[in-house]
Amino acid sequence: MNAGPTGSDRAAPTRPDGALARLALALERPRVLGALMLAPAVLYVVAFVAVPFFIAIALSMSDATVGDPQIDTFVGLDNFIAVVSQSGFRLALRNSLLITTLTVLILLVLATTAVELLARDFRGKRLVQVLFMIPWAMPVSLSAITWLWVLDSQYSPIDWVLVQIGLLGPGGTFGPSWNLFYLGREGLAIASIVLVDVWRTLPLATIIVLAGRLSIPRERLEQAQLDGAGFFRILFRIIIPALAPVLTVAILFTALLVIGEMSTIALLTRGGPGHSTQILPFWAYLKGINSGDLGQGAAIALFLFPVLLAAAIVALRFAYRAGRD
Amino acid sequence: MLYHSIRDRLLVLRGASLGLGAAFVLVLAPTTALAQNEPPDPEFRTSYGEMTFPEQFPDGTAISLTQWSHFVPRYDEWFQEYAQQWGEAHNVEVTVNMINLADLTSTLSASIAAEEGATVFEMVAPPTAFIDGLQSLADVNQAAAEAFGERSGTCERSSYLPATDTWYGFCHGWVPDPGDYRRSLWDDAGFPEGPVTYQDLLEGGAKIFEDNGLPVAVGMSPEIDSEFYARALIWSYGGSIQDEDGNVTFDSPEVLEAVRFQKELFENAMTPEVFSWNAASNNQTFIGGRASYIQNSISFYRSAQESAPEIAADTGFRPGLQGPGGEVKMPSHVWFIDVIPSYVTDPDELAAAKKFMLDLENNYASASYYSKFYNFPAFPSRSEQLFAEDGWLSDDPWGAEPPDKLGLLRTAEEWTAWLGYPGYANPAISEVYESHLLSSMMADVARGEKTPEEAIADTNAEIEEIFAKWRDRGMIGSGGD
Repeated sequence: MNAGPTGSDRAAPTRPDGALARLALALERPRVLGALMLAPAVLYVVAFVAVPFFIAIALSMSDATVGDPQIDTFVGLDNFIAVVSQSGFRLALRNSLLITTLTVLILLVLATTAVELLARDFRGKRLVQVLFMIPWAMPVSLSAITWLWVLDSQYSPIDWVLVQIGLLGPGGTFGPSWNLFYLGREGLAIASIVLVDVWRTLPLATIIVLAGRLSIPRERLEQAQLDGAGFFRILFRIIIPALAPVLTVAILFTALLVIGEMSTIALLTRGGPGHSTQILPFWAYLKGINSGDLGQGAAIALFLFPVLLAAAIVALRFAYRAGRD
Repeated sequence: MLYHSIRDRLLVLRGASLGLGAAFVLVLAPTTALAQNEPPDPEFRTSYGEMTFPEQFPDGTAISLTQWSHFVPRYDEWFQEYAQQWGEAHNVEVTVNMINLADLTSTLSASIAAEEGATVFEMVAPPTAFIDGLQSLADVNQAAAEAFGERSGTCERSSYLPATDTWYGFCHGWVPDPGDYRRSLWDDAGFPEGPVTYQDLLEGGAKIFEDNGLPVAVGMSPEIDSEFYARALIWSYGGSIQDEDGNVTFDSPEVLEAVRFQKELFENAMTPEVFSWNAASNNQTFIGGRASYIQNSISFYRSAQESAPEIAADTGFRPGLQGPGGEVKMPSHVWFIDVIPSYVTDPDELAAAKKFMLDLENNYASASYYSKFYNFPAFPSRSEQLFAEDGWLSDDPWGAEPPDKLGLLRTAEEWTAWLGYPGYANPAISEVYESHLLSSMMADVARGEKTPEEAIADTNAEIEEIFAKWRDRGMIGSGGD
């Protein structure tokens, strides 16, 4: 018969010995474990956000060039003062704000509409969801090149359709020319860029908003219906207020995405006609890399940072408070 | 030792090293091949001027070249083979990285910042802003001048900075930028030889536009072809951005006349499509049969020979257009400027890179031939078959019809200028070019955003500011003061 352990056999709790045992003990402390879990994210932010950011600040206050990128001469705010006097910069600033604002406003409407569609059950919903995500999944350069063809000055399929239905061409509503020259006219060029940015970022905005929309209790919407509220009343009195925090986050994310993106402009218009579609990131690239003045390039790139930082803080605070309420 | 063997004899290597007897035969090849239709076999010498090189480099020597994917694909095929052949002949591992033309500056910039990257970068415009991060190539340029004789003006002024007395690059070739017109259209419009003057371009272009709806297709967009067109127009009208000593001369009656002309041309013979073009747009428009005149290098014509032979057959070339004073100046369309970043310090790697540059120039007949005469040599003596009276340009082996269609390019050196014309390229000239100030100015006037006077005043102010900035850094001037 197997006797159970006697009191003398039971091991009394003792201090662990060996490195692994000590490590295990240390990991049981919440402060150590928490710091370790956070470390990769902190390292990432420091290496890929903080360091480049502070280098950019240092560059913007130096006379560094592409040939001599050393940050060894402090020039104060000279680069910021110099870029402000450039007509290309002023237009770039205007366009960056204009294009971002227009894109976000259109996104708000379209994302809210798309969410109302995707929140409902219907046949083929999975397929629609997949198709909806394609613009987000496509590389920016590839989508811009596709749009470049769609908006081509001579071979645009949109022009072809307009000609076929008699709206374009001699005697047409839109004038005698066979083409509208979407990228060659300032207003149409900006509209085209906004269109491409909306097309590209709509899936992201929609996914963010959809998550918020699905978190609204179904009973609350059904109760409103039972009380006789119509679609728009439910939308504006229940859904949109409930979505406010998520909409704020969606606005913030897409705005930051659009305002810092230069591929669309680089591939569609390169800032033309003249500088009328120039934006800050592309102007910074032209000045900093192509023209060789790293200091001015960094100054242009950083110009909107204080505004964006303030906007981001306000937006996140609003989202936090709205979510808490 | 860097150049440890001093030898005066020439060696010809093909594939692996050959003997001196075979070398003697091959050294004669350039002369005998003149009568034939193909370039001579490559000839790799061991000395150029006062620079001497070993026949074979020590084991482990390697160089890497970063250059753009050529507009004429046949050139890239030839270059890859040539580079490997050169490497095998010299016991050097040669790597060629071909990248998009638009990525060259950012790649060089990143390499200099990281102090790591290719041994040689082949830039397509004077990389003057990079001078502080580049090695002086005075020795290579001097050796080339001693060995090959006269150098083309556009190459010299695109690789030397007088303000600091620096040869920052070795320009091995350049590309003419002729005017290109549809013969049938201009014949019908009463200009059987095509437009000769800018006034012809306006009158004939307007008539063709009115009769056929086909516009003059010269760009006013932020891209290189539009920048080149703006310069050609301004230079031919007698204006310029700077003088020979680097003083800004932009705000002048000549520039004003040129800008007024462009506005008139746009209003009578052009469409708004030119405001959003990229560098390929005018080629595509011309090959698509939708343009009466463009300004471009012959690469579009080589494409048209294959994809649109009827357009190629109907294409005529002009050596630029005369301004009101009869002056004709066109820019070079591309320069091939080799530079070596300062981070390259290995003596064998440096020597191999410099020898590669000089050997390429020595064998430039092949470079010209396989680029289908897109590449012109920096030293005309290196491609005699190109310029000879009964040479390649007069009897095109790549199928031009008539065979002497490209014959006018024999005089291209006479009507070709350079970015800093009449002075040298410098960082300010490069920044004006890279910031697209001239094409944007033309577009602002053509679109009615500004009057010619306002546009010139605004642009001049920006140019002055850019020049002042680089002058403060000692990069502007003739170097004599």
